[in-house]
Amino acid sequence: MMERAMEQLNVQLNRLTRSLRRARTVELPEDNETAVYTLMPMVMADQHRSVSELLLNSKFDVNYAFGRVKRSLLHIAANCGSVECLVLLLKRGANPNYQDISGCTPLHLAARNGQKKCMGKLLEYNADVNICNNEGLTAIHWLAVNGRTELLHDLVQHVSNVDVEDAMGQTALHVACQNGHKTTVLCLLDSGADINRPNVSGATPLYFACSHGQRDTAQILLSRGAKYLADKNGITPLDLCVQGGYGETCEILIQHHSRLFQTLIQMTQNDEIKENMLRQVLEHVSQQSDSHYQRILTSLAEVATTNGHKLLSLSSSYEAQMKSLLRIVRIFCHVFRLGPSTPNNGNDMGYNGNKTPRSQVFKPLELLWHSLDEWLVLISTELDRNRKNPSSSSSSSEIASLLLKQREVDHSGSTPKLPSLLDPQIVMETEVYADGEDVISMTANRLSAVIQAFYMCCSCQMPQGMTSPRFIEFVCNHDNVLKCFVTRNPKIIFNHFHFLLECPELMSRFMHIIKGQPFKDRCEWFYEHLLAGQPDSDMVHRPVNENDILLIHRDSIFRSSCEMVSKSTNEKLKQGIAVRFHGEEGMGQGVVREWFDILSNEIINPDYALFTQSADGTTFQPNSNSSVNPDHLNYFRFAGQILGLALYHRQLVNIYFTRSFYKHILGIPVNYQDVSSIDPEYAKNLQWILDNDISDLGLELTFSVETDVFGAMEEVPLKPGGTSILVTQGNKAEYVQLVTELRMTRAIQPQINAFLQGFHTFIPPSLIQLFDEYELELLLSGMPEIDVQDWCRNTEYTSGYDPQEPVIQWFWEVVKSLTQEERVLLLQFVTGSSRVPHGGFAYLMGGSGLQKFTVAAVPYTSNLLPTSSTCINMLKLPEYPSQEILRDRLLVALHCGSYGYTMA
Amino acid sequence: MSETYDFLFKFLVIGSAGTGKSCLLHQFIENKFKQDSNHTIGVEFGSRVVNVGGKTVKLQIWDTAGQERFRSVTRSYYRGAAGALLVYDITSRETYNALTNWLTDARTLASPNIVIILCGNKKDLDADREVTFLEASRFAQENELMFLETSALTGENVEEGFLKCARTILNKIDSGELDPERMGSGIQYGDASLRQLRQPRGTTTQNKQQCNC
Repeated sequence: MMERAMEQLNVQLNRLTRSLRRARTVELPEDNETAVYTLMPMVMADQHRSVSELLLNSKFDVNYAFGRVKRSLLHIAANCGSVECLVLLLKRGANPNYQDISGCTPLHLAARNGQKKCMGKLLEYNADVNICNNEGLTAIHWLAVNGRTELLHDLVQHVSNVDVEDAMGQTALHVACQNGHKTTVLCLLDSGADINRPNVSGATPLYFACSHGQRDTAQILLSRGAKYLADKNGITPLDLCVQGGYGETCEILIQHHSRLFQTLIQMTQNDEIKENMLRQVLEHVSQQSDSHYQRILTSLAEVATTNGHKLLSLSSSYEAQMKSLLRIVRIFCHVFRLGPSTPNNGNDMGYNGNKTPRSQVFKPLELLWHSLDEWLVLISTELDRNRKNPSSSSSSSEIASLLLKQREVDHSGSTPKLPSLLDPQIVMETEVYADGEDVISMTANRLSAVIQAFYMCCSCQMPQGMTSPRFIEFVCNHDNVLKCFVTRNPKIIFNHFHFLLECPELMSRFMHIIKGQPFKDRCEWFYEHLLAGQPDSDMVHRPVNENDILLIHRDSIFRSSCEMVSKSTNEKLKQGIAVRFHGEEGMGQGVVREWFDILSNEIINPDYALFTQSADGTTFQPNSNSSVNPDHLNYFRFAGQILGLALYHRQLVNIYFTRSFYKHILGIPVNYQDVSSIDPEYAKNLQWILDNDISDLGLELTFSVETDVFGAMEEVPLKPGGTSILVTQGNKAEYVQLVTELRMTRAIQPQINAFLQGFHTFIPPSLIQLFDEYELELLLSGMPEIDVQDWCRNTEYTSGYDPQEPVIQWFWEVVKSLTQEERVLLLQFVTGSSRVPHGGFAYLMGGSGLQKFTVAAVPYTSNLLPTSSTCINMLKLPEYPSQEILRDRLLVALHCGSYGYTMA
Repeated sequence: MSETYDFLFKFLVIGSAGTGKSCLLHQFIENKFKQDSNHTIGVEFGSRVVNVGGKTVKLQIWDTAGQERFRSVTRSYYRGAAGALLVYDITSRETYNALTNWLTDARTLASPNIVIILCGNKKDLDADREVTFLEASRFAQENELMFLETSALTGENVEEGFLKCARTILNKIDSGELDPERMGSGIQYGDASLRQLRQPRGTTTQNKQQCNC
């Protein structure tokens, strides 16, 4: 009894010391569940001695499955690479083919994690390599996914079918190709894997390699004779490469199947393919060699030519063909600009120098340009014919047929095959149109799109910013036809004549037509072109780089803004502005708006002496004496930058400039009326000289003026030798113009130049000239609010009108119905300013002091338009017989007459 | 998915106004007569994939206006054409007499290898015939043209005209007389030439040509 007790005590003591020494239990708990969690961490750490010790004498079931996924300890060992424990477990009878809840065997796990030794041991213990898990994956799939070639090498000898498919019909080769494991692919192929095996959707190994742009893998497959097969939806490996923009893989496909080259080129016609991806691919292929470059471009030129000709077929869809042509030409020009991979003849950009192979690529397009030329000549002939014989109806039947064709085209999408029913209504209508005129209107859009393509091709051979002489010559040759196009359909300018914005020499020809277009359309065009080439800054909200934030001190806003802006780059400022005020948290659009608002107020702060107020105190212009501030020109440049930047980002500023300064920004010459904004009395005197015969007045004026230069009177000639040229009745207009320029421009020329230098860093001069001075004010400073009631209350009537007069009643009803923009136009029309003075209409200023808005009666004759005298804020309103006519005439005057004054 | 073909040929249809060029094209593409046909403005366009000698060929056909006022525009389409249908009206001697001019145009402006087939259209109006079959075929022989009399109304010989022209071009390619790779040949490879490689030889020869010329 004692001995037994002693013995037991010894055992317990022994256990206790062992346990204490190892800092863990030395005896397995009775139940499997608890035991397995005791063993698991030891297995994971491959503490095989301890495991072995614990398992000794225990009744633990080595195949006991536990946890959520029901794995055995053998799974754990295989997964963690605990090879000693693995062997121990196997020796104790663990089942090597035991599957967990997802059907994975220990071999799967060892394969997945690349546990080479474990895998070897499992195989020794007859683990079955062909078992699939629930998704149908076998051990070789796992090895192939992760590219464990060495292990695969060992395993594949035991595999009965190397092409074993998973649930999706995917073999190990498929997954290896998809992931681009070159050596794994080679190993599988060497082991007899089927190189053309399709999965359930018909995708082959090559298809998988292409879908992920695995260039080297595709190369291996193709050199081993892989076939080029589409999947069940007809999607080809090439389609996949283009979709992903995988240029290198495309290149390899083309190397092996040269016909795919044409297919690739033809893809440019497919508008479902992303243009940037396709461009990327073509770009890459073109850079392989000079001959690739030549071939790509020549083929693109051919496709573009065919497309252009289709576009010129009147029964084709204008939209689709136009888009297709412009897309191809865009890609063409992009690839051309890159140049060949070896730029040995890169310098010859001249269009006429067709000697070098590089410009040879344009040759196919010559066919299209030739057709374009011939079409324009034809239209020109038609125009002449119409002019001579306006009632000719030679082509009436053609028009009828065309309209029918167009109808068919339009309807073919929706209705299945519309039979060409002759709708008598249509024939009637078309008989009415009926001559060469309609040939013109039907081709104008199409020809204009081809002209756009022509321009793109011409300019991609020129250095940036230069217009090709060939294109200028083209426009000059077809001047009458092009003008005829845009006069009939001004939309053409905005849709296709983008070249105008890049070529000032051509713009001037079309300016009067463009200026006649609605302000809104020109605005859209302006911003579309201004932001072209910028990444979509509005679309993507880029996280702001901490270094790009403009940190502004509120108490020295002008100086700190100037400092921050000059530190940043123009490119960054174009991409976006982020402002934070020193010591404040706020960021975002609101802060940016506030910054522009406060800063613009600071720019006109009299303390800086940069700008002076106009006579009526509402507008500003550069101060001719700003040089008291030695740094003034830098500040003007900065002011120009801020205004330009505000316009660029559609932010409004809180400054209104004088009419003449807006003209300076636009590069429009000033006239004597502009003088009234700074010196109304003097402007009246100039007006008087112009209005009266000065021959016998004995004014003894010469072409010179006396100015006060720091207290000393100095005679400044208006033109060379001006001091001795008398002003006469004959040359007084020139005198007035020169003296105006002296007062308005020459006195502040350095300031204007510095301002424009800053302004033009963000706004190109060619773009801003789309607008007149009134519109520029709207763009920069926004639309003022106009209170019609206040306006009405502060209006006076003369020459027979009184508030009860029906014409006056109609007038105010019309004003109420006008849009805010039209009201501003009316205000501008009558007062020359778009703003209501501070305090309302009661404070409206005229040439000499307060001058209320006045409506004066004028006898009505048919079609007579309202006129105005801006210096006395007077609207001369004819006594219209009805409200409709009043409204109509008023709107005509507002929309046509808001610029280009003639003195009433 | 784009249609697959072995070759693409550019064709022209030329000839005086009112000879039925657009109707021939319409008949070839739509298989029916175009009732309300009017003068073509400029150049119109149509295409169809045909089977010739076991090869699929896409014909891209440019149908030109016959009216003099469009002549300079239509001429600009000649270059880069592989084949042409030169059309006259058998009921109008005037259109027949103009053939020389059309032919000169085509021979000088198009590629020297252009294959031209002469089509005497409106065969159905035999009662009003002004040009005999014999004299036209003599003209064709002298000028090394193929010749057919066609009717866009009944469809007689319309398909044959186009196919004959296409077959001649194919033969010239096979004999090496025409090089499709040459720029301005009016011929392009399609990507079907690829598919041909992996298809067993037998399958494509099954649909043998139905045409007997």
